[in-house]
Amino acid sequence: MSTHRLGARLHIQSAMKRFGEQDVLRGIDLTIPAGQFVAIVGRSGCGKSTLLRLIAGLEPPSGGELTLDGETIGGHHADTRMLFQDARLLPWRKAVDNVQVGLRTRSRERALDALSQVGLADKANEWPGVLSGGQRQRVALARALAGQPRLLLLDEPLGALDALTRIEMQQLIERLWQEQGFTAVLVTHDVSEAVALADRVILIENGRISLDVNITLDRPRERDGGFVHFEKLILDRILERDSSEAPRGKKLSYSI
Amino acid sequence: MKPFRKLAVNRYTPYYLPVLVVAVWQLLGQYGYISTRTLPTPLQVAEAGISLAKSGEIFQYIYDSAKRAFIGLAIGGGIGFVLGVVNGLFPIANRYLDSSLQMIRNVPHLALIPLVILWFGIDETAKIFLVALGVFFPIYMNTVHGIRSIDPGLIEMAKVYELKGFAFYREVILPGALSSVLVGLRYALGFMWLTLIVAETISANSGIGYMAMNAREFMRLDIVVFAIILYAILGKLSDSAAKLMERRLLRWNPNYTKS
Repeated sequence: MSTHRLGARLHIQSAMKRFGEQDVLRGIDLTIPAGQFVAIVGRSGCGKSTLLRLIAGLEPPSGGELTLDGETIGGHHADTRMLFQDARLLPWRKAVDNVQVGLRTRSRERALDALSQVGLADKANEWPGVLSGGQRQRVALARALAGQPRLLLLDEPLGALDALTRIEMQQLIERLWQEQGFTAVLVTHDVSEAVALADRVILIENGRISLDVNITLDRPRERDGGFVHFEKLILDRILERDSSEAPRGKKLSYSI
Repeated sequence: MKPFRKLAVNRYTPYYLPVLVVAVWQLLGQYGYISTRTLPTPLQVAEAGISLAKSGEIFQYIYDSAKRAFIGLAIGGGIGFVLGVVNGLFPIANRYLDSSLQMIRNVPHLALIPLVILWFGIDETAKIFLVALGVFFPIYMNTVHGIRSIDPGLIEMAKVYELKGFAFYREVILPGALSSVLVGLRYALGFMWLTLIVAETISANSGIGYMAMNAREFMRLDIVVFAIILYAILGKLSDSAAKLMERRLLRWNPNYTKS
């Protein structure tokens, strides 16, 4: 009962990815212990989504090695599930049937269980077309978690949702992560989302890890001084603001 | 204002124009503005229809024509669908087959009639062959298009959730292509009747086309016009059936639930 509830341990050693002439990832070294919640942030085009696709086994690395519990990732792994930015539900299947896709047994009861975990038991027989964006994403989350994955990858899953729905979804993801104990890797461009959810935030710049901070705040996270401290630390690093220069902003010139 | 609006917009509005046309036609015929040797009046056509129905001949003719039409549809549509799936999924098959198929498509299939008569004679095979050729392309083209336009995100999703082999076709490919395939089917039904009418008019010993050509020999214009109306009704019926299928099979799609 308890073995499959444990998260997977992910080890990445000098992973590289090249598309044609362009180096997207130039050697990533990262070890994520079982059950940790890691957020990967960075500007768009920095390679964070590519890294996630390598971890998912959707694309092979051009160099280096990625292992899951000591096993090399080659192609898609059965213990890994991914939540995309768009929910990617099958529009011709009802909500509960979409969740069943995530279950190897295709058990309807388990699918209904998973739906009630995300608070959508009453929408089981609706077509995805009539659900709201947030509800669709919750169905996708139920589908991802129904199979009890050991590694959950989240590719900006909340990017398209409105602010209130986002906060609800963040709380939901945090609660399910605490209950099920899977390892989670979240890619996001929203630094405050990263600080709100993750044990550890990693910043990727020019295909390399340029910052790796542990967020030492208690859960559930309050938006207090500590929270703002971490948020500012990471944002300043992304925007390359030197804290000593920041107040003298008049000298900065912007070119667009 | 209100009763007028009710009269102007209700479920019978599509029928206003045909009813008006028939009424004017009847009056013009009745008062001699159109010679009955040019065009019989609607009542004469209806009488011809009733007498054919009484003798039971008409049902045999409809049965013969419909049988040819649907056997041709099953053969041509089936081959078109299978080739469409293969060419939509495998670029290599598409490279080998598609340009040849496009060349054949651009030959009007009715231009093959002399050849077909020499190959198959004038019996059933020739007509079914022509119908099959006529329905093949709309179904083939729309199946290829439907499969090409499936959201690549869904295909990647299927990979992550390990949908493979038959489950992948049943859950993702076929339902994804279905709305296009049904558009192809509606076109194909149009081509099906068109081809059949031409084929039956040229040579047949049963069917609606045969009935019309036979009637022409005896100058029975009422039967000729009745045959034409019969084709119109059969065409409309099969289009309605296809529409009903669309509504039933695509009820997940908000665009098809109404209208």
